[in-house]
Amino acid sequence: MAVIETENLTKVYRTTRKDPGLRGAVKALYHPQFVNKLAVDRINLQIEAGEVVGYIGVNGAGKSTTIKMLTGILLPTGGKVRVLGRDPHRQRVDNARQIGVVFGQRTQMWWDLALIESLNLIARIYEVEPARYKQLLDQFSETLELDELLRLPIRNMSLGQKMRAELAAALIHEPQIVYLDEPTIGLDLIVKERIREFIRQQNREKGTTVILTTHDLGDIEELCQRVVIIDNGRLIYDGPIATIKDRFGKFRVITFETCNPLTGAINLPEGAEVVTNGHGPEDHKLALRFDRTQTSASKVAHAVMDQVEVVDFSLSEPGLASIVKQIYNGALREEFAE
Amino acid sequence: MIHLMRRRAGIYAAFAGMVPKVFLAYSMWFWVGLVLNTIAMTILVFFWQAVYSNTTSIAGLDLNQTLTYILLAQIFAPLIEINMIFEFGYNLREGGIAHALLRPMDFQSGMYAQHMMQTFTALLLQIPMALVAWLVFGLRFPHDIQAWAVFVISALLGRTILFFFDWILACLTFYTTEVWGLGVLVYGLSLFFSGSLVPLAMVPGWLQTLALATPFAQALYVPLSFLTGITPLSQAPTVLAVQVAMLIAFGVCSRLFFRVAVRKVTVQGG
Repeated sequence: MAVIETENLTKVYRTTRKDPGLRGAVKALYHPQFVNKLAVDRINLQIEAGEVVGYIGVNGAGKSTTIKMLTGILLPTGGKVRVLGRDPHRQRVDNARQIGVVFGQRTQMWWDLALIESLNLIARIYEVEPARYKQLLDQFSETLELDELLRLPIRNMSLGQKMRAELAAALIHEPQIVYLDEPTIGLDLIVKERIREFIRQQNREKGTTVILTTHDLGDIEELCQRVVIIDNGRLIYDGPIATIKDRFGKFRVITFETCNPLTGAINLPEGAEVVTNGHGPEDHKLALRFDRTQTSASKVAHAVMDQVEVVDFSLSEPGLASIVKQIYNGALREEFAE
Repeated sequence: MIHLMRRRAGIYAAFAGMVPKVFLAYSMWFWVGLVLNTIAMTILVFFWQAVYSNTTSIAGLDLNQTLTYILLAQIFAPLIEINMIFEFGYNLREGGIAHALLRPMDFQSGMYAQHMMQTFTALLLQIPMALVAWLVFGLRFPHDIQAWAVFVISALLGRTILFFFDWILACLTFYTTEVWGLGVLVYGLSLFFSGSLVPLAMVPGWLQTLALATPFAQALYVPLSFLTGITPLSQAPTVLAVQVAMLIAFGVCSRLFFRVAVRKVTVQGG
């Protein structure tokens, strides 16, 4: 069953445009010029219960605006949105009971008070049974290592500590849907891993639906089965990560370490080309790129080994990062335009 | 139904309960506030003594009555402390409004609970100042229980009217996001129209009528006028009825304003 459904979801911001300088500021007082900015453009989404969906795009693509419409904070300019069967803006309070939200750069807790004070109040607001709250607090303390943080005011926490605390605050009422807006921004690898594990655990054990916006593709690769890509407010891809990897990751790189320095040219099968032909200190290294729809790794390897003596070789496939880079650079936009 | 209401009231009470903890997180606030307020109170006492140096009565009030009024007005000044314009403005600019709207509770009721607790906490923290007024300036607290009872009811009504008024102004920040000018203007008006510096009985009739129509006077001058004997207790039913009518009118308007204004929310900074 779809827990989130949007149909032609659209958001237009109206902003004033001022010419630069004092003259522009004075002119704007008498003749303000308004500009409409289309932040989200007719997005259709269906998200099933228990899915972990990565929602990605460049800065300003419309990710956060979409999340804010789904949470009920922003009123859509057009289209429909239903979250757990409700209109999130009109039924904001009822919707809020069923969701948890982490905005990576903001806190929902009381800045000057100890974490435990915030958690106690949040549990009270969401009417979590005291026994269940105690149980969850123990669990979260263990997974997120909160013990030493509970008595610490939020303002005294490091970024990583704050984010662990935010996650606990967003999930202490066991919401059905969690929106995580850049939850790992600026965090070190260890904290990132701990947070990812916590999200995985919540999804696995409670079937929590997770919508994750991030610029860290490690988050996407480790957590999401499905990725939604948005560009200039428009949805340009919605599907499994594997599909997008197949579609844009057709090139592989095979690197050889040779016994002797490379001198002459090497004959390669069709679809393969040289990336690095060792010179200077790397004269024992040969890197080739091939299109796996035209040839295979074994054919390329055979061809090379027939011509030079190879000590070692390795095969690498493009990471999600390089694929997404292609997409951000317009690969899908062009297809979409067609 | 009663169980549900009690449960909800408990939630709002818990929400409001955070206020004193936040207040007490910075003990320096308390001491600095105490010193500054005592200085302001001293200046006002000297000012009014100077004003009365060549006269025994102004608008029917003698020096003792005026000083009693002014000292009480300074002690009960938290009744007119409003900061929602700045609070909304800050939350809109910093994006904190997002989390505020995401709590599963009525936003306005939550803010009301918090603001009432803020006022109550601030009044408790005025006790040392009341001691200074009593020991240094010889303030004699009224001892008419009925006057105190009417004062408390009127102050509650007046503070709530002011809350709704402040809320309506704060809703304007959803459109402007600029708050400083409006905030400062409202603060200036509150000082004068609340009667915290000058008893409104001393201002010309038309200005008094105008001032009494503002929520500022309803929050401070009107309740204090019962406590200091400026308004006879026999007028309490009429005055309280007017306050109830104003409360309903401002309350309804504030709900309507918010319902429209919240559609204009933009969360700054992504």
